[in-house]
Amino acid sequence: MTTWFHSWRAAVRIARRDAWRSKGRSFLVLAMIALPILGVSALDLTLRSAQLTPAQRVERTLGAADARFSDARTGGAAILQDPEGEQNTPAGDYYSPGTSWPDGPTDVTKTIPAGSTVLTDSSGTAKLTTTHGLLQTEVRELAADDPVARGIMRLQEGRFPEKNDEIAATTQFLESSGLSVGSTLTARGFDRTYVISGSYELPSDLTAQQVNALPGAFLAPYAKAVEKAGLPKPDVSTTYLVKKAGGFTWNTVQAINAKGVLVTSRVVVLDPPADSEVPLYQRKEWAKNSGGADAAALAAVGTVVGLAMLEICLLAGPAFAVGARRSRRQLGLVGANGGARSHIRAIVLSGGLVIGVAAALVGIVLALVLTFALRPLLEDYMGQRFGGFTVRPLELLAIAALAVLTGLLSAVIPAVTASRQTVLASLTGRRGVRRSNRVLPLIGFGAVLLGAAIALYGSVVSDQFVLVAGGSAIAELGVVAMTPALVGLFGRASRWLPLSPRLALRDAVRNRGRTAPAVAAVLAAVAGTVAVSTYAASRDAQSLAEYRASLPYGAGAALVTEEGGRDVPAVRDAVQRTLPVDVRADVFRIVVGKPGCAPYGEGEGCGRFDVVIPPANECPLWAIAPDGSDLVEKYTKEQRRALAKDWRCLSHDGNGIYVEEGLLVADAPLLKVLGIDDPGAAKALADGKLLSFHRPQVDRNGTVGIKLITDPKAADRAVEQNKPVPGELKSFPAYQVPGSPDSYGVESVLSPAAAKAAGLTTVPLGAFFSTDRVPSSEQRQRLDAEIAKLGSNVELTLEQGWVDENGLVLLALTVFAGLVTIGAAGIATGLAQADAEADLKTLAAVGAPPRVRRMLSGFQCGVVAAMGVVLGSAAGVLPAVGLRLTEEREQMRSYQEALDQGWVGVGDAPPYVPIVVPWETLAALLVAVPLGAALLAALVTRSRGALARRAAH
Amino acid sequence: MSIRHGLLALLEHGPRYGSQLRTEFEFRTGSTWPLNVGQVYTTLSRLERDGMVVQDGEDEAGHPLYAITDSGRVELRSWFEHPVDRTSPARDELAIKLAMAVGAPGVDIRDVIQSQRRHTVKAMQDYTRLKAQALTAVEKNGDRERDDIAWLLVLEQLIFQTEAEARWLDHCESRLIRLSSTAQAAGPEPASPGAVAGAAGTGARAAAGAEEAARHRP
Amino acid sequence: MSTQQQQPVLSLRNLTRVHGSGATEVHALRGIDLDVHPGELVAVMGPSGSGKSTLLTIAGGLDNPTSGQVFVEGTDITALGVNGLAALRRRSIGYVFQDYNLIPALTAAENVALPRELDGISARKARTEALAALAEMDLGQLADRFPDEMSGGQQQRVAIARALVGDRRLVLADEPTGALDSETGESVLALLRSRCDAGAAGIMVTHEPRFAAWADRVVFLRDGAVVDQTLRSDADSLLTGRAAQR
Repeated sequence: MTTWFHSWRAAVRIARRDAWRSKGRSFLVLAMIALPILGVSALDLTLRSAQLTPAQRVERTLGAADARFSDARTGGAAILQDPEGEQNTPAGDYYSPGTSWPDGPTDVTKTIPAGSTVLTDSSGTAKLTTTHGLLQTEVRELAADDPVARGIMRLQEGRFPEKNDEIAATTQFLESSGLSVGSTLTARGFDRTYVISGSYELPSDLTAQQVNALPGAFLAPYAKAVEKAGLPKPDVSTTYLVKKAGGFTWNTVQAINAKGVLVTSRVVVLDPPADSEVPLYQRKEWAKNSGGADAAALAAVGTVVGLAMLEICLLAGPAFAVGARRSRRQLGLVGANGGARSHIRAIVLSGGLVIGVAAALVGIVLALVLTFALRPLLEDYMGQRFGGFTVRPLELLAIAALAVLTGLLSAVIPAVTASRQTVLASLTGRRGVRRSNRVLPLIGFGAVLLGAAIALYGSVVSDQFVLVAGGSAIAELGVVAMTPALVGLFGRASRWLPLSPRLALRDAVRNRGRTAPAVAAVLAAVAGTVAVSTYAASRDAQSLAEYRASLPYGAGAALVTEEGGRDVPAVRDAVQRTLPVDVRADVFRIVVGKPGCAPYGEGEGCGRFDVVIPPANECPLWAIAPDGSDLVEKYTKEQRRALAKDWRCLSHDGNGIYVEEGLLVADAPLLKVLGIDDPGAAKALADGKLLSFHRPQVDRNGTVGIKLITDPKAADRAVEQNKPVPGELKSFPAYQVPGSPDSYGVESVLSPAAAKAAGLTTVPLGAFFSTDRVPSSEQRQRLDAEIAKLGSNVELTLEQGWVDENGLVLLALTVFAGLVTIGAAGIATGLAQADAEADLKTLAAVGAPPRVRRMLSGFQCGVVAAMGVVLGSAAGVLPAVGLRLTEEREQMRSYQEALDQGWVGVGDAPPYVPIVVPWETLAALLVAVPLGAALLAALVTRSRGALARRAAH
Repeated sequence: MSIRHGLLALLEHGPRYGSQLRTEFEFRTGSTWPLNVGQVYTTLSRLERDGMVVQDGEDEAGHPLYAITDSGRVELRSWFEHPVDRTSPARDELAIKLAMAVGAPGVDIRDVIQSQRRHTVKAMQDYTRLKAQALTAVEKNGDRERDDIAWLLVLEQLIFQTEAEARWLDHCESRLIRLSSTAQAAGPEPASPGAVAGAAGTGARAAAGAEEAARHRP
Repeated sequence: MSTQQQQPVLSLRNLTRVHGSGATEVHALRGIDLDVHPGELVAVMGPSGSGKSTLLTIAGGLDNPTSGQVFVEGTDITALGVNGLAALRRRSIGYVFQDYNLIPALTAAENVALPRELDGISARKARTEALAALAEMDLGQLADRFPDEMSGGQQQRVAIARALVGDRRLVLADEPTGALDSETGESVLALLRSRCDAGAAGIMVTHEPRFAAWADRVVFLRDGAVVDQTLRSDADSLLTGRAAQR
């Protein structure tokens, strides 16, 4: 043991001094290993620093209070909560049929124990005036300066509001509104103005757009003003910060839970109860997230780290190979002085160890320094302040171990090769073709066969992605292992080439020890890129084929549902001004209840409407029997398949614009925008008929019924109990548009006049429009800016046809593979140059022009790159094809299954899974990259210097 | 080597008597040139005749002391200044022997060369051993250092001369080998000893010719 | 001589080495027998291609003979494996080559300590031994110099120190003076000579008779066989007069 240690010490000493003596090569390898290590350790430091301790978390949510009480909105029904106070669920059993989910507010203040100090913390939203226009902003009423609240908001400038006409704002709000401390501020439709007294930040949410006012200073008067204008008043949620001597224990918290109130208690968070004491966790429907997802994530991270290490090893390997080659005489001397093979291996491996340790040190120290220095920037990027600068020594050690391991692994093959040399050959420095390892290519070949077999089995027999991917990965590694042998095959071609490429190819083939790892590095990167590109290109082709337009090409829709359409005219105007609008169709929607109501009956005093489907027209596959059972069970597979093609079951395939019940109130221009050219349709609309694009809604008498529901809650209860829904029914004569043209999600159109005649209330919804030409990116940006100024929530759709979403990713991948290729080829070339200095001297001495030196290095680089990309492309296309075949089989199977189960409508097409080879990417990789690498190498090579350096050496 | 000049050089250091001169001479040249006292006194009397030394009193024991004169010093200076005359090398038996051995029937010239080489190298070994002793002496003896260095130089002269001989033998051997192999390659029939000897004879004759030429010079 | 009675440190028995086979077959060595005793320095001379260097590489276990045996300190090394040979080189044999003998990454002392450290001796003990070895050869002042800070002669002398560090007492020197001038070469040989006088056994390949003359015995090799050898006579008999005086 000590013997082993002492001889390793000598090896490390030699390796350390050698690394220092060849600084260039050492630095290259060090940088290759240290850079990823720097990234990973900086990430670890950042994430760990961003992770808060329970005490820090408590300070940021509770300030100095002992607990935060909030309404669980169960109407006072008992709840179960987690110790953090983040999740809760009603305590009773509400999953059985016939029970309704508890809902409604409760008075939280009643549950607060007497003798406590209480602070209210209310928040709502308002549209605040800014220098640019309006900004939807959270308004939070909290006495931020109160000792109890201290720590929740961090004051940055000025002071927190002390008077009712003062307000403080987050720095983020000041930045995006263009206001500053001292500016005045008001809300839309509100007569009060406020002075900004200071700025603050929320340490865990730096991007929050928020203003802070004293309790009662803003929200209540603002709600009054809004209500006066006939608009729904903003939702205000109030929680209570409570300070009480002794705090709130888990038992107390559970007692308060019984009254439907959620409690975040300092004591409980700091000292959480065991999981067994948390009833919430005992609920069977409460599936605590299992380790499955974690394991998958871990496997993914492991794979990425493993691949990155392999890539680095392949890139760094040649450097060690050449290092060992150059110090062969030295290794021979060690051998002559009694160094056994293990000692030689130890010396070369120590090279890896030394570089690995240095890289780990450099990477981690740099990461520490950078993370520490860039902390404010990182905090902004993460959107939260760090709890502290957290250094986890064990994790950093693990990262360092990774670096050392990478260094060692890179040096393994050179070490074994060096130790196999006889001492005599090392001493005499005889150069020549070293017989390459015959075992490795054989193992590689075996791995290729095994991997291919697994992938084939996976894609043809089992449909398991894991098998295809795993098999492909094994085969890929096999190809990497076979690289030396494959490189040898390329050598056969050399006979037919002119001098420079012939020399380059021969040199590359003769020195497989350094060529093969570089080629393998290129191979691995290119194979990955080609696999992903092929897969992505195929996916693109598929999504192009499956693409359904939301509107006719070039058409658009801008819809506003909030505040009763108050901003609609402005939006219509903005669209008209900024886009090349051809036809504009103003559209309206039906409101039940107050005009300010949102669709689907949300808000106080608001109702909704249903377009009635006559029972006879209901699709049997979807129908529910009066006793609540599913009718589908009654049908056989064949019946289900037949019903899937029935017109009643025709389902909408999901494209288009969603509006309430598919119904729009609009005039004939809408038909133009939607591309409906049936002459009868425009006439029917003008005649006051309801245009129907959805046949099942038209009943036997040719009418369509619209039911106005003033009490949505009662209606919901009726649906639950399978009773008729109460509400006033309005019937309209309908015109079913023939030939089922694509109406882009619109199922019914009613003219405003007809709606008015029927006594329906309508409010502006927005506009559909067609354009002369597809709006340019600048026009879109201008429209976005105009809309942002309004501060409204506008649903804007602009049909631009199918857009390739993967384009950028593919480009990035190609660039990445290109860079790795050029890098690896460059390293191999540099090493070849260093190795072939003697040949170059001979060449120069024989009288070769300086140009030959340049050309040689260019070809050396090109040869490595070309071999890598050719092998890599071949190795990359195959797994992608395998994956696609598997996907096709899987999608076909689930489609057939769906047909059998009666889940599909007529609109669903059988899956289309094409395989597309990305020729542009391949061409770039196969031609442009090797060419570029060769040119680059030729350019940066000094053409002179061979003879000059001879004397110095 | 001139005994005349050697004695003058010794007398340069101060007056000496005859047998003392003999001892110092042998010490410096490492007994390479043994002298008898008669030789010394004959030389001294000739030097006295030529005015290069004078008798200058006696020592306590009554030996007559000789001292160098100014003209003796001039002679000594000019001896040191002039290079040794290479125009009349000593007749070398070895060269003559090899020249005779080439072409002599029943004689393997390589054996002749090897036995000569063994002898030469052995002599070198012996000289080197003495030299090693001298080197040690040079390092140790401070007061007699000058004598030791002189002895060392003489030894090295011998070593280098012997080495030249050994190298010449090596050269002869490799030349003979090459000539015999070219003769073998040129001739259709296997090399006969005569062919080797004939070819080698050319080289040997050249050597002998050089010897001859040297002899005829004044 | 008295040394002749001791067991030889190195003995070669009927050593044959054939390079290649068939038409390209070359007999580098043909039946060599040679003993080297403690205290003896043997020089091997011969024209190039006579098998001098092959003899040395086989004697040190860097190459294997086609037939015959090599005994180092009584052990037949032809029976040893790769690791056994390496261990033998660490413990029993020291090599000195023509040039670039020292590992550039290590100081003189570390170079000398290397075989000991490889053998598993602690770094401190190995260094102590190395310093002692260097001091014994008057090289103490070079201990902390790197090879590129030393002259060629100094490097060769450090290499000799390394060859004999520890218990090793067999030096195999392949043209140790080849890259040096005459005077420096002499000093290297004087050192080798003195180490042998102190009890080591040495075998040296050279083509310079002047350096071979430092040996106790000169072996002449021709076409892979020993054709002749000289034994040192008592040199004093050659120069009688002087011997009597001293």
